[in-house]
Amino acid sequence: MDYEFIIDGALAEVSLDKKEEKFIISLGKKSFKADICWISENVISLLLGGKSYCLHLASDKKQTHININGHYFYIKEPSDETLDFAGGEQASEKDALFIKAPMPGKVIKIYVKEKQAVRKNQTLAVVEAMKMENEIKSSLEGQVKKINAAPGDLVDPDMVLIELEKK
Amino acid sequence: MFKKILIANRGEIAVRVIKACQELGITATAVYSEADRSSLHVQSADEAVYVGAAPAGESYLNIDVIIQAAKDTGCEAIHPGYGFLAENAEFVLRCEEEGIVFIGPNSKAMKLVGDKIRSRLAMEKAGIPIIPGMKGDLQDPSKYISEAEIIGYPVMVKASAGGGGKGMRIVYKEADLRPALEAGKREAKAAFGNDSVYLEKYIEEPRHVEFQVLADNFSNTVHIFERECSIQRRHQKIVEESPSVALETDLREKMGKVACKVIQVSGYNNTGTVEFLLDKDKKFYFLEVNARLQVEHPVTELISGIDLVLQQIEIAAGKKLAFKQKELQQKGHAIECRIYAEDPQNNFLPSSGKVLFLKEPSGPGVRFDCGIYSGCDVPVYYDPILAKLIVWAENRDKACRRMLKALADCVVLGIKTNIEFLKDLIGHPRFKEGKTTTNFIQKNFPNWSPPEKPENLKELALSAAAFNSQKSSFQGGGYGAEPKEVYSPWTKLGKWSIGGGK
Repeated sequence: MDYEFIIDGALAEVSLDKKEEKFIISLGKKSFKADICWISENVISLLLGGKSYCLHLASDKKQTHININGHYFYIKEPSDETLDFAGGEQASEKDALFIKAPMPGKVIKIYVKEKQAVRKNQTLAVVEAMKMENEIKSSLEGQVKKINAAPGDLVDPDMVLIELEKK
Repeated sequence: MFKKILIANRGEIAVRVIKACQELGITATAVYSEADRSSLHVQSADEAVYVGAAPAGESYLNIDVIIQAAKDTGCEAIHPGYGFLAENAEFVLRCEEEGIVFIGPNSKAMKLVGDKIRSRLAMEKAGIPIIPGMKGDLQDPSKYISEAEIIGYPVMVKASAGGGGKGMRIVYKEADLRPALEAGKREAKAAFGNDSVYLEKYIEEPRHVEFQVLADNFSNTVHIFERECSIQRRHQKIVEESPSVALETDLREKMGKVACKVIQVSGYNNTGTVEFLLDKDKKFYFLEVNARLQVEHPVTELISGIDLVLQQIEIAAGKKLAFKQKELQQKGHAIECRIYAEDPQNNFLPSSGKVLFLKEPSGPGVRFDCGIYSGCDVPVYYDPILAKLIVWAENRDKACRRMLKALADCVVLGIKTNIEFLKDLIGHPRFKEGKTTTNFIQKNFPNWSPPEKPENLKELALSAAAFNSQKSSFQGGGYGAEPKEVYSPWTKLGKWSIGGGK
């Protein structure tokens, strides 16, 4: 079976074949034989030519989180969205117009109004999380198109707080 | 001894205190906010009381509600943990008025040590070394020159109204003083609307060394040696250890005596920590008293064998200290790393969300004081500390190795933590050499990014993801994914509850 994943922003292909109770794992030109044992739903024991590895993994809606020997990896399944985001400059400008919270938290202050002109680096809002206040700044010059949050609102990192438009 | 104690806190410290109560046969009553119904401290406690909405101001910081909870449940004492109400003199006074024992210092001492200006004056009067500085603002610039001479160069120009580094200037010689004063005044005016500045001795390459002190209600005072907490980021400690590599026996004894004197001068009882700055010439200056059980208290517990929470409870219950200074010993070396929910790659901003999986490190000399579990939610409302990893070994070198191994063994999946950063920090050659001054992180990790990941491990990670997908497709759902088309009675029953009809 072949699988495709996104790791560190790049596409990678893995294929698995079962042969005499062992797996042949192929990545590009490389392939190796592994003895795999699921210890629990979050733990895999892997024997590779006598070498022992303990892998910890868990998935949420966005990605699979994996830890091996203290190193962390984040692996996604390719989707239209991830490919879209890899689309370079266009995507980054789009990002700059949609002001999102840097982390989940509470909106403390919104400094701008709709239709207001904003400078580059102007503070637009302050979001607080875990006793820390964070200023959210505009990365470009423009005008406020829409405000979707008010002081006191709880926000997630994916939520667009303020929409900007170029003048 | 008390029969029931209310623990007015959450997270790892509430769990720590609950365990101490239960060991003593004391009923532990937890309090929880709306965001904490499923938190570990509620599960660990014998009783739990709901105290309000998620924001701390409406729950853990609400004095009336906390006092009422203690009265309603018949608690004779309240342990405040650290943070929240732990150093709130008004709360302590309220406990005293209501006849509830506050497990910590008396309100008078708490008020004194909480007031930086008053405590500084009291300490100066008692002959405790403090950072030399000017008493007030002067208009005549020539007077600053004579003041600077009395203090001794280098001196720091500081804004009277200030904070956050604004208006601060370091001056190494007289010729530079006047321009620094002028610049400092301009900056202070712009930042605070007040151009008043004063001079203070500038401490070069300081270390943050603090002494743990215990004082019973009968004026018996001992110190349980030092902790070095120089490794800080944005004034937040992240690594603490004992002993400090900077102290020799003589200096340790001298500082310990001064720490006990600070406690006595303040009329302080229960546990407290006396903080000092230690300069590169091994001169030390009193900073402040932390009137609480410190986050880093396990470091002292491991090198001394004394359970500080147990001591707190016994002292509060009116017991005399069972040991004298000369019976106390510092044995081996202990290091603590604070594990925070934060993303080192995103400017150390807090991260929150669901802990999908947790593997607690363990082994000889490894202690993990933990407030989370696999599947728990980390709310956005509170301090981002998740757990503390503390190791003990015969010496510092071995303790560092043990810490590195334990950090690698500690797995938190689902939310970002500082574990990889801590590994780099403990493994840094300057840390191993003990060159730990308060600017350590600034100097050695100006723009940290995680180390290159070995290519073979990346391949294994991809393999694991493939195995995971394979498993999911075999089981029609499987681990991590939402189950699809699998028969489960719960999906058909709708809302239900045990007992029902409530």
